[in-house]
Amino acid sequence: MNAEIVSSLLTQEVPAGAAAAVPVDHLDYGYIEKCTDVKHLGKILRVLRSGDEGIYPHLIEFCESRLERLDPRSRALRKDNPPATAACLSGDEWSQITDELKKWERDAKMSETELKQQSLFHDLENDNVPPVRGSSCSITLKQNAVSNGQKKTSQKKVLPRNYIEWDQYDVDRECDKIDGNVTKKDPPAIINSRYLKIRSKMNTTALTEQEKVLVANREKVKGNEAFKANDYEEAVVYYSRSLSVVPTVAGYNNRAQSEINLQHWHNALNDCQKALEMEPGNMKALLRRATVLKQQGNYQMAAEDLRSVLQAEPQNITATKLLVEVDKKLNQCQPEKERKSKKIVIQEVENEQGEDQRACPVEPSEAVGGESAAAAPAERGDMGNAQKKPHGRGGEGVPSPHTDHNSHGGHWRNRGGNAEKYKVNQQDSASDKGLWNGAQGSGRSDSKEARPAGEDGSNLDAPCGALPPPLARLKNEGNLFFKNGQFADALDKYSQAITGFTDSGMDSPEDLCVLYSNRAACYLKDGNSSECIQDCTRSLELQPFSLKPLLRRAMAYETMERYRQAYVDYKTVLQIDISVQAAHDSVNRITRLLIEQDGEQWREKLPEIPLVPLSAQQHRREEPPSAEVLQARAEKAKHHAARKAEVCFNSLKQEGNEFVKKGQFQEAVRTYSECLKLKPEECPIYTNRALCFLKLDMFAEAKQDCDSALRLEPANKKAFYRRALAHKGLKDYLACSSDLQEVLQQDPNVAEAEKELEEVTLLLRQSLAQGSPSNPRRTVPITEVEGTEEEDWQAAEPDRTKAAETETEEPSTTSTSTPAPPENQCRGGGGGRGEEEAITINLQPSNSYEFNQSLNAARAQSNLPACAELLSCVPPETLPVYLSNQLDGHTVSFIMQALDTQLLQKDPNLVYQHLTHLHTADRFSVVVMLLEKSERGQMTRLFDRLSAVDSDTFSKNDVQNLANKYI
Amino acid sequence: MSTPFEKPQIIAHVQKSLNYTVFDSKWIPCSAKFVCLGNYARGTGVMQIYEVEHGEVKLVKEIEKAKPIKCGTFGASSLQQRHIATGDFDGNLNIWNLEVPDVSVYSVKAHKEIVNSIDGVGGLGIGDGAPEIVTGSRDGTVKVWDPRQKDSPVANMEPGEGEAKRDCWTVAFGHAFNDQDRCVCAGYDNGDIKLFDLRNMSLRWETNIKNGVCHVEFDRKDINMNKLVATSLEGKFHVFDMRTQHPTKGFDSVSEKAHKSTIWQVRHLPQNRDIFMTAGGAGNLHLWKYEYPAQRIKKDSDEVDMGVAGTVNLLQNVTLSTQPIASLDWSPDKQGLCVCSAFDQSVRVLIVTKLNRV
Repeated sequence: MNAEIVSSLLTQEVPAGAAAAVPVDHLDYGYIEKCTDVKHLGKILRVLRSGDEGIYPHLIEFCESRLERLDPRSRALRKDNPPATAACLSGDEWSQITDELKKWERDAKMSETELKQQSLFHDLENDNVPPVRGSSCSITLKQNAVSNGQKKTSQKKVLPRNYIEWDQYDVDRECDKIDGNVTKKDPPAIINSRYLKIRSKMNTTALTEQEKVLVANREKVKGNEAFKANDYEEAVVYYSRSLSVVPTVAGYNNRAQSEINLQHWHNALNDCQKALEMEPGNMKALLRRATVLKQQGNYQMAAEDLRSVLQAEPQNITATKLLVEVDKKLNQCQPEKERKSKKIVIQEVENEQGEDQRACPVEPSEAVGGESAAAAPAERGDMGNAQKKPHGRGGEGVPSPHTDHNSHGGHWRNRGGNAEKYKVNQQDSASDKGLWNGAQGSGRSDSKEARPAGEDGSNLDAPCGALPPPLARLKNEGNLFFKNGQFADALDKYSQAITGFTDSGMDSPEDLCVLYSNRAACYLKDGNSSECIQDCTRSLELQPFSLKPLLRRAMAYETMERYRQAYVDYKTVLQIDISVQAAHDSVNRITRLLIEQDGEQWREKLPEIPLVPLSAQQHRREEPPSAEVLQARAEKAKHHAARKAEVCFNSLKQEGNEFVKKGQFQEAVRTYSECLKLKPEECPIYTNRALCFLKLDMFAEAKQDCDSALRLEPANKKAFYRRALAHKGLKDYLACSSDLQEVLQQDPNVAEAEKELEEVTLLLRQSLAQGSPSNPRRTVPITEVEGTEEEDWQAAEPDRTKAAETETEEPSTTSTSTPAPPENQCRGGGGGRGEEEAITINLQPSNSYEFNQSLNAARAQSNLPACAELLSCVPPETLPVYLSNQLDGHTVSFIMQALDTQLLQKDPNLVYQHLTHLHTADRFSVVVMLLEKSERGQMTRLFDRLSAVDSDTFSKNDVQNLANKYI
Repeated sequence: MSTPFEKPQIIAHVQKSLNYTVFDSKWIPCSAKFVCLGNYARGTGVMQIYEVEHGEVKLVKEIEKAKPIKCGTFGASSLQQRHIATGDFDGNLNIWNLEVPDVSVYSVKAHKEIVNSIDGVGGLGIGDGAPEIVTGSRDGTVKVWDPRQKDSPVANMEPGEGEAKRDCWTVAFGHAFNDQDRCVCAGYDNGDIKLFDLRNMSLRWETNIKNGVCHVEFDRKDINMNKLVATSLEGKFHVFDMRTQHPTKGFDSVSEKAHKSTIWQVRHLPQNRDIFMTAGGAGNLHLWKYEYPAQRIKKDSDEVDMGVAGTVNLLQNVTLSTQPIASLDWSPDKQGLCVCSAFDQSVRVLIVTKLNRV
């Protein structure tokens, strides 16, 4: 067999082989219908298409449809298509495409010339470009040695291998290699997304405005892409970059959505807020804010946001759904609140968090479900713009046949809902109903009944009267169909009416105008925007500057994304009637789109906006906004302001709670205080702030807050509990225990309160025991207990003294200066209670706390000898330390007195030493400034006497110098 | 899947026959103009600037150069300058100011043989960091150039001593999401794909797709590298998920056999990184969309992270010519507008519709 024969055999066999895989009897309708093997069907299709077995166009088609049903993505279905031409597209689409292209060509030319002009003046040197990469580095094409050997061999072994290669195959070595591979510890995978080092701000110093817009847009696109790939963190970074260049509403909105998906509610809320600041009433922002508020448990405000969305877009599905959920939550919340008030919530912040978590398993799934709709493949095209579509429809849905009837008399129905207008409409619809009932009878005879109804309608709609009865009937039937959503039927009726009208040769442009306008509404409903535009245009030719056709045309343009025309139409509408809210909203929306599309100079690209003659305007302006409307507006504005404050308040509160969770109590106190500035009557804020104060060991403030809270809510357990803690901190164990008992009375199940109560009772007993005269001089146990909370107590001291000053209504506070119940005297014993009293003063203080205790005790009894003794026991150097920041005027004067009267004679050196150290104590200078005259006199006396003393440790000059520091 | 009615359509907007072989065509950023680069029959190079106007293209400028020009890019030039960097048959890298095209702004003898491919980054607001140009040549080297440094490359990727020199067919920049990070991907005639990390000056990853690599492109140059598409001589293309690199398995990929002939080019839509078009040797264009998997990372048997590739869907395909389509470029400014040149000596402006709805 020579080579030729072999090759000829081969060439023959190849097609035969292909055909052999598909027996001829498989090329049959019956077989193909039953065949479920996609691959085999593909083969069959290939054979059929090749024409080897004859050409059967119908069978090919059948096979294709079958295959498509089984596997729409089958490769066999792919056909070579010629490029599309104008003929493949509808005329409208084509003209739209060419229009857009032409526009772009013009724009591109303009922006190019602009760019050239700019570049003439623009400094080409850009400082923020990194330097040239280090000198020429060479990278070899090999990877590092170890892995390289293996890689290379595996790469070189491209099939087919030859026999020689197999001969060289060393099984043992390969086995070793495999084993080695297994034992070798691989380095971890490199995940690029894990080390995002993207700057969230961009340097735009060297960019022109035009470039900035481009760059911002590009970053936003990147954000969108990342969003679509579910890389929300990355998306946030890119949106932030875009916003750092040019802040846009869309940018904020998109970032908000990403934050929502990341469940960073707080950031999302801020972004929504910013978007709404830039553009109040932005639907997406409102919707997203509602989502966030719902997540944060603020159902009331979420519902409000959703309602305002639905007011503007009654058919927004997402909003409707969300509102239902929120309402459900609100209803659930009511009983829950009651339950909550039974169950003590002591640590509000923590508890709220718990609440969030409790809600979480339900909510995120819902929210993600709701929001992922935006990310779902079907709606992916434009993130979040999914809402745009229903929105468009929503707008279209508004023109109802009610308004059609009085297209001349009435305004476009205001979004706010204009009552008088509505009355007319209701009458109208009533007449419609009558007609409908008649029509349902579905008989010729019924039409007579219907006719008067129709005429009745024409009374309301004056020009309709010019229509001959059959046409009027057609029209009314059309209106009816329209009202019932049978747009195709309505369309039919209107068309009949129009043909009838033209046939009759009547001269009543108003009626024809209305008919066209109504038919346009049908087209709009059917989504046939181009026909709608045509009808509107016809209508407008008949009756220039009539409102409804203009509005409808604008809507149709908008749905076709021909924003410029839409803009012009809306603007014209507004010239005719400034009160058309729908037009205002749309103009805002379109302006944004146009800016996005055309850049800053979008206005220049607009077609001319026709000037509406005064007559047409006046016709519309007969009714200035009534007082009611104005009032409603004012109320709305007020409402808005209130809501803004509310939102602000909530975000602050949230922030505060966050801080608490993070343990940053100082900041939390600050935020809560701001909250209270906004709303001074919020009980939870007081209790929260009290918690922070407690954590910060500022017990007096905590107590005050609790008092305020209790003033607002006299039965707030949380406040009671926290006040108890504050009292404990202030060492007012009695008040503490009474507060705790109050808590337990309200809810006996609070374990914390019980525990605290036990502890406090113990403390109380101890303090009583300490206070009792039979006790030994030094009471050890109290320090033991306090040892654990030493720092707390120390920090608590200033508050304690302050509390003593401020809280006069609380005689039970541990204050040595106030006459307190005997059991409350934890140190120093009761004032003037026998001669043993001084004994309870601890004369050997080992720390600041003990010292202060002793000092206060002595002062309370005006026990100068005790104080003198105390001072003589204390090394002068430690005096400032012991006093720490507890110094006040009375203490100073008391010490002075003691030094003067008791110690000066005994030990002037010690006095001098004390004085040299005393003035270094904290707050000394302040305290001295506030001393009373008598106290000052006392001080001067002391120094005079001291200088009179002869001593070898100090001279008169020293005393004089020292005195200068005091006086 | 979108219904047929909703499918994007590829419309041949303008077709223009040329009297030279055109190798590359590129939109001039921020304009309605594009540049065609090629080779006159008499052996000289040519650059032509066309402007799209009223449904046709108008020749704005024609510049003849000594050597045939193989490839060009605007990627390393600022929007204000818009200088084009070209590589020619003689291995020269030139940067031209198209307003004053007589003398090159920058010129260097970059390679010993033809420059097959060129790419730029750091300009046009795309990619942070320094403007850089990478060239790949038949002499087997890949070199990175900074227009601010004359005569020598800033990085040179060449085979070691004694190693076989493979023809480098394609180069692409990527991963340029901050000032430091940057990667170059190169494809060779033997099917090697190599990823060079310019930050660490090392070969980060390599693989072999067993078939000459005609073109590689990252879906975006200026993000943390996300996807890489590599097309091959025999009609297959591979999409690598570049987010997760397994220590041994590298990047996961999905491949698709689309054309019956070489895929000469792949270009991602500048407005949507998940849509790309491939241009085939039989004069056909395929428009694809990449769908991400539900989870982009999974654990292998050793609990090491590895990437998961998604799927690609064909959105539309058309046949424009009988000759290979050698170049393709999306307009950076107008979504859906693209220019492609084929070896039938013609250049076409195409419009792809409904790209924002897929």
